[in-house]
Amino acid sequence: MSKGKIKEQEILKTIRAEENWEPVGPTPMPEISDLRRWDRRLLKTYKPFYAPFCDLCCFCTFGKCDLTGDKKGACGINISGQQGRWALIFSLMGCSAHGAHGRHLVDYLIEKYGEDYKIDLGGQVAVEAPHIRTVIGLKPETLGDLRKAIEYVERGIINGVSATHMGQEGNDIDFESKSLHIGMLDHVAMEVADIAQTIGFKFPTSVADTPLVPLGWGAVDKSKPVVTCVGHNAAVATVMIDHLMKNGIYDQVEVTGICCTAHDNARYSDKTKIIGPLSKQLFFLRTGIADLVITDEQCVRCDIPELAKAAGSALIATSDKISYGLDDVTHKEVDEIIRLIVEEKKQVLIRDVDKAGEVAAKVLPLVAKGRTKEILTKEKAQELANKCTACGMCDRVCPNLLKISAATSGVRDGKFENMSDLFAKCIGCGKCEQECPKSIPIITLMQAAASWDTYNVRVGRGPIHDVEIRKVGAPIVLGTIPGIIAIVGCSNFPEEIEEVVEIAEEFAKRKYIVVLSGCAAMAAGYKKDAEGKTIYEKFKPEFDAGGVLNVGSCVANAHITGAAMKVANIFAKLPLRANYEVIADYILNRVGAVGLAWGAYSQKAFSIGTGCNRLGIPVVLGPHSAKYRRLYLSRKEEDDWTVMDGRKKELINTEEPSPEHLSTVVESKERAIITLAKLCIRKNDTPQGRQLKLNHYISLYKQYMGTLPDDLQNFVRNDKDIPIVYKKEVTEYLKSVGWKPKPLLTLPTLIGTYESNIPIEAVVK
Amino acid sequence: MSLPLHYVNVLTGLKGCRVIEDPQALGKVMKKAERPLLVFGPRCIDIDLGGKLAIEYGVEIAKTMGAATCATAHTKKKLLELGVTPDSTYDAVEIINHLKDPNWVGVKKQGNHDLVMFLGMRTDFGNQGLSTLKHYAPHLKTITLCPYVYPHATFSLANLKVEKWKEYLENLIQSLK
Repeated sequence: MSKGKIKEQEILKTIRAEENWEPVGPTPMPEISDLRRWDRRLLKTYKPFYAPFCDLCCFCTFGKCDLTGDKKGACGINISGQQGRWALIFSLMGCSAHGAHGRHLVDYLIEKYGEDYKIDLGGQVAVEAPHIRTVIGLKPETLGDLRKAIEYVERGIINGVSATHMGQEGNDIDFESKSLHIGMLDHVAMEVADIAQTIGFKFPTSVADTPLVPLGWGAVDKSKPVVTCVGHNAAVATVMIDHLMKNGIYDQVEVTGICCTAHDNARYSDKTKIIGPLSKQLFFLRTGIADLVITDEQCVRCDIPELAKAAGSALIATSDKISYGLDDVTHKEVDEIIRLIVEEKKQVLIRDVDKAGEVAAKVLPLVAKGRTKEILTKEKAQELANKCTACGMCDRVCPNLLKISAATSGVRDGKFENMSDLFAKCIGCGKCEQECPKSIPIITLMQAAASWDTYNVRVGRGPIHDVEIRKVGAPIVLGTIPGIIAIVGCSNFPEEIEEVVEIAEEFAKRKYIVVLSGCAAMAAGYKKDAEGKTIYEKFKPEFDAGGVLNVGSCVANAHITGAAMKVANIFAKLPLRANYEVIADYILNRVGAVGLAWGAYSQKAFSIGTGCNRLGIPVVLGPHSAKYRRLYLSRKEEDDWTVMDGRKKELINTEEPSPEHLSTVVESKERAIITLAKLCIRKNDTPQGRQLKLNHYISLYKQYMGTLPDDLQNFVRNDKDIPIVYKKEVTEYLKSVGWKPKPLLTLPTLIGTYESNIPIEAVVK
Repeated sequence: MSLPLHYVNVLTGLKGCRVIEDPQALGKVMKKAERPLLVFGPRCIDIDLGGKLAIEYGVEIAKTMGAATCATAHTKKKLLELGVTPDSTYDAVEIINHLKDPNWVGVKKQGNHDLVMFLGMRTDFGNQGLSTLKHYAPHLKTITLCPYVYPHATFSLANLKVEKWKEYLENLIQSLK
């Protein structure tokens, strides 16, 4: 439904249109189809590429329907429509997870501080919420404004979910447009969540040089009472830490975390320790080092009650999203809950943040009493592996295609090298164990083969500072900082966890800006150099050439995309307010930012990536992500690369496939590195910037492929683009392939290449 | 149909591959192709089949039947070391994206291919790419040369131990001569 006058008035009231910080742009609070023309323009060049994971549809009672090839389901949907529907469903799941997370934090903090509680991200961050400003058109000032933003996201989700119902949307491109919309909302939701927790829990902000915190299971002093928080929502942990301090026992216990709650715990207190990414969840909980396990939300294993029981750990579940079938004791008195946990050994659900935090702090020393924590010895491991017949069933079910039986039979024979290697590649699902006909606890065996060293991670720093953007804005847009490499997402890595460090280091050494978040930020800490330093100690923490920075947990990803928006706003002076199309167009054509989700597994990662794509940021995915079943690929030089020259107002066929893809999967680390370098190329690069970008692309291509890139001719516009160091051989190569100079333009934009209400003047500043 | 070695690739559908256990029979299928293409994935660089790498078997197959070649991931470097210049270099999803189009010019600019062989992909990644071709490229046939059942291929080898695989590839090459 198009907007009527009443609805328009409601929107203007919600965004306080009368405030004149910027003029209200064309799309305040866009509905699900309001940016459809932008999406269709993107998808004209970057067409959906589908790799169906399942040939059937089993959504309704008409089915199961076989959709193979050109067959349709009973409702009329075809295989592409079905894949588009999955894409929308994944985006909705991811956006909902972050949205509900943000809603929980906002509601909790409004209860605590009131809706007028001010947003203040410190002296370095004036553009506090680029997503909320750009998408909604609101400059949020209070927690109440954040609630408005999350309500807007919630409305979008309902509309999106309705489109997935049988007999609704059926066209793949329209499913994709809706998926892109929900991905965009996801970044709003993440921004809400991270701003709320930053102001509510007083996380560090406007500081780049945040402390280093210990990383790894080896960092935990298991002689102390140990609590391990698993998930993504640190609310309960912050209250627990307050009580531990108040009770005077904070230095006598170990507060640890797995996955993003660990990041946010560390932002609250740098005395906490990060165990690692979600791939180490099963491994660590199995050790029994945790006396108390607290679960909150997202990426938490479904079998934690069983795991905690087997390991002798107490368990408090704290989210209504993960209730585990446990008794809800929220209404009971604190002392009674403690009695239930300590005396009756009950696992409980406490849905009240403050009560859960208080109970956790009080119960921790009690449940730790008398527990012994023995890590599996090599001798005991060998004994457990003794029954291995190397039947290979574990190999068949491993989602990472690992040779588990060779490692297990090696342990049986007293050899641990293969198991150590396996541990580095293990994604920690435990499917091998349930398939083992001899019931060998393979994940447990890894205790005897894993390194128990201690590493470190820099505490998540939150938003990129405005002053940093002012410094790097011009070099990024001109290309003299070759790019921003954002390494994000989960730990479903195809090979060793160390690959993340190698990729990050490759680009940091070359003076790209390397930004990390979530499990990828933890993975980057898992390698030391000869001097014992991790990547966080070797590179500066600023958002600058050669910097390596951790923005924080998953929801802090909004600050990475937000930084690209700030370049358009702070450097290029484009208004953000309700001006999504112009900002996305600017980023696509001029900001050389690329995301890498090397171990993406969740629907959240899919949704984040889709939101990046709508904003004009390409994403490279690891091989597991082929199972997401949708990419956005161009046909390279065979496609039409016509853009508008904004200053001359002329359509120009640039003949240049940049950025070449919006969402692609690569199979090896080497190819990922080359692809990342190539996807930083933008049409707006100056000759100096293009030379630098090509210099890195050529150098990396030669390193990993042995020759000059065989698509080099696509990215050299004229002689001035050729890197001096490769001048002779590149010139010879270009001659050999019949290269001709390409048209030059001063202000590339897609605005004007499709029907849009945006005037070309809007992109010229 | 045989189960794939890796359960992640279990077929959820009705149209699965035909497993060809006899290398002579597979050779006959391959010989019929007019414009065959062999796509190299990165895993064939590291698999040693008794002193000869899997990628070398691929090179021999391509040479014997006159197939065009495509290096994906970082296989180009190894092919060059072996003295082979691939006819094209793409990421796996890029070459598959091109192959979907019946009017594509092909890697030798002589028209799209009618038969595509794959060697050395991760099985999960490879099976996803084959799914794309099964659904969107009815104009071509696909063959996997790895020792695993790939349900989305047109023709696949069975799940084979390394020694049997080596024997299969050697017999296949003989049949192509």
